[in-house]
Formats: sequence, C-alpha cells, structure tokens
Amino acid sequence: MGNKESRAAKKLEKKQAKLQKKYESLEGGGKFKKWRNDRPFWGATLTLLAGLMILYIPLQLYAIAFVPGSLVFVGFLFGGLILIVGGCAYFYPKLSTLFGVMTIFLSVLSIMGALGGFIIGTIIGIVGGALCIAWQQEEVSIDTPSENKRVKRRPKHQRPVENNQSLQA
Amino acid sequence: MKDSSVRVGNTMKKKFFIAFLTGFLSLGGIIGVFGLSGTAFAMPLGGMGEFFVEFDELHGEDFEFIPKTGETGDSDSAPMVRNKMSVANITNLHIYKDLKLPTGNWVRVHIEAPSASIKGLIQDARFIDANLSFEEMAIKEQNSDDISKNWTQNATKVTIENAKIATSYLFQSMVSLDGAEISMEMIDGPETIE
Repeated sequence: MGNKESRAAKKLEKKQAKLQKKYESLEGGGKFKKWRNDRPFWGATLTLLAGLMILYIPLQLYAIAFVPGSLVFVGFLFGGLILIVGGCAYFYPKLSTLFGVMTIFLSVLSIMGALGGFIIGTIIGIVGGALCIAWQQEEVSIDTPSENKRVKRRPKHQRPVENNQSLQA
Repeated sequence: MKDSSVRVGNTMKKKFFIAFLTGFLSLGGIIGVFGLSGTAFAMPLGGMGEFFVEFDELHGEDFEFIPKTGETGDSDSAPMVRNKMSVANITNLHIYKDLKLPTGNWVRVHIEAPSASIKGLIQDARFIDANLSFEEMAIKEQNSDDISKNWTQNATKVTIENAKIATSYLFQSMVSLDGAEISMEMIDGPETIE
C-alpha cells in the first residue's frame, strides 16, 4: 500500500515539475505563446487543416454537388462543419472535449461523400480531435519570489554605503 | 518566498491515446464494412476529367437515355448523353483514369472487378463504343427547348456487350464490387478519344 502511495506521489511530483517547467518557459515567452497556452492551439489548427483537406474533393466536384441524389453535398457539409468546429476551438477552449469528439466523428464520416480528403484529411482530423480532447488547463503551484526580490535594483551611485565592503574594512 | 498557483495548458497523454485509438478503430470499422462487402454507398466519380469504363457485359433494367450538355473536367459545355438504370449487373468491369503527377510523368489508376452490381446508376458519357440490345424500347420526342426533354429513349431491359465508354460523371446509389482490385501503372501519356 505504502509503495503504491509513494509511487503515486512521485508521479504527481514529476507532473508538477513538468508543469512548472512549462510555466517557466511560458513566462519567458512572448504574447503568442501565452495566447496559445490558453487554448487547444495544435488541436484546433489540425482540425482546421483537416476541414480544408476534406473540403478539397467536394470543391473539385462543385459542378455536380447539387445534382439530385449526389452525396457530394454531404461532403461539403462535413468539411464545412469541421472548419467551424476548428475555428470555435480557438475561441471556446472550455468546450475543447466536445469539439474534439465532433471533429473525430465528422472526420470519420467524411469518408462518405468526400473520401475523407483522400483519407489524409480524416487522419489529420482524428489527430486534431484527439489533441482537443486531451487538452486541459491545469493548476500549477509556483514559488513566486518575495516582494523584496522584486524590488528593482537601484543604480550603483544610489546604493547605501554600508553595502560597500571596502569602506567597511 | 510566496506560494501561488497559475493555470497551464497541457495535453494529457492517456486521454490523447484513448481518443486517437477510438478514432482509428471507428475509421477501421467503416473501411472494414465497405471493404468486406465491397460495397460503397452513394459513390460519385466525376469533375476530375474524363475516365474510361470498360466491361464485357452489362444487364440493366429501367434504362433511360437522355441527351445533354454538361461540364466536364476539360470543358464548360460538352455534348454528352446521360444513361440511367435502376439496376445494373456487370461482368469484368474495368475503370481507369490517367493522372499527371507533379513530376510531369503520367500514371494510370485501374479499378477492376470480375463482377459488379449497381443500384441507381447515373452515367454521363461523351463516347460509347459497344454492342447494345434493348427490350421494349421506346423513343419519344417532345417539342421542348429543354434539350434533356426534347428527345429520350427508354427500355425496360438493356444488354451492353464489349463496351468502352469515355465517362465524365458516374454516380451510384449503391455499388458492390466483388473481388475488386485497385492498381497503378506508369504510362507515357494519357489516352484520348476525339
């Protein structure tokens, strides 16, 4: 029992260390990196890419897309919906799991009517959907420096004299 | 030192692999169902230029033959005919298409099946070379400006033998290709029929 607990604690510690590392790299990063951190960026981007690839075939067949009985129209619908889901995943990150499930479902179904963007679109859609499902924001406790440390260092000529070792001697 | 917490976006590996595998299993399921039965629902082929359909024999029911002009992969308005059949059974079907690779070389994609059964067939053809025989054939003319209503040919049954058809659009509500084989070969140039 104790062994199991210690293993779990170790795992948690490792995870925290990883998250802390991520946070540190985030702190040093630019605005874009911080924006990316707040949403399932790669999942949404791959979903958009999959939508474009799935739309490629119906766009090539647009001349017959509205012929009665043609399933090309359904290809348009699936590709368009995947594009919308990908776009929404950027702006509503809290619903990323739902968007991920929808992306996988539509990508697989797009085999009918759009050939899944020659299968490649479907595969990219599955990866993008899985990334959206797996994405989540986690709390990480960090040791912030105390207020004294945050104080800007004064210029040399303004520092108190007692700090000067040579003068004390 | 002060202790506080911040939120960091993270991808859970376990969740990712479960979703990834589920996606691929469902994709495999769909492909498996189509592959095992050799059946595809509502399969359109068109808009990618001309392709050729060859077969030894076709037995069709509720045949309709309608003249029309329509868009092909190479032209905005080409004269062609639309063949419609409610049911078609084909022996030794061979569909092939010549494609130009980005390298400039040509490749021919073959789809071959010893027997195929189709429901709800619509085919737009620019060129037909075949032996045809009809049962209860009726040709009807109508005084209409609409080219598709101007002249039609119907038959309850049709048999087409040794056919070669230059096709620009093919639609099937349901197609079952038994023992289908898909292959590719490098060719010097595309086949053309003027």
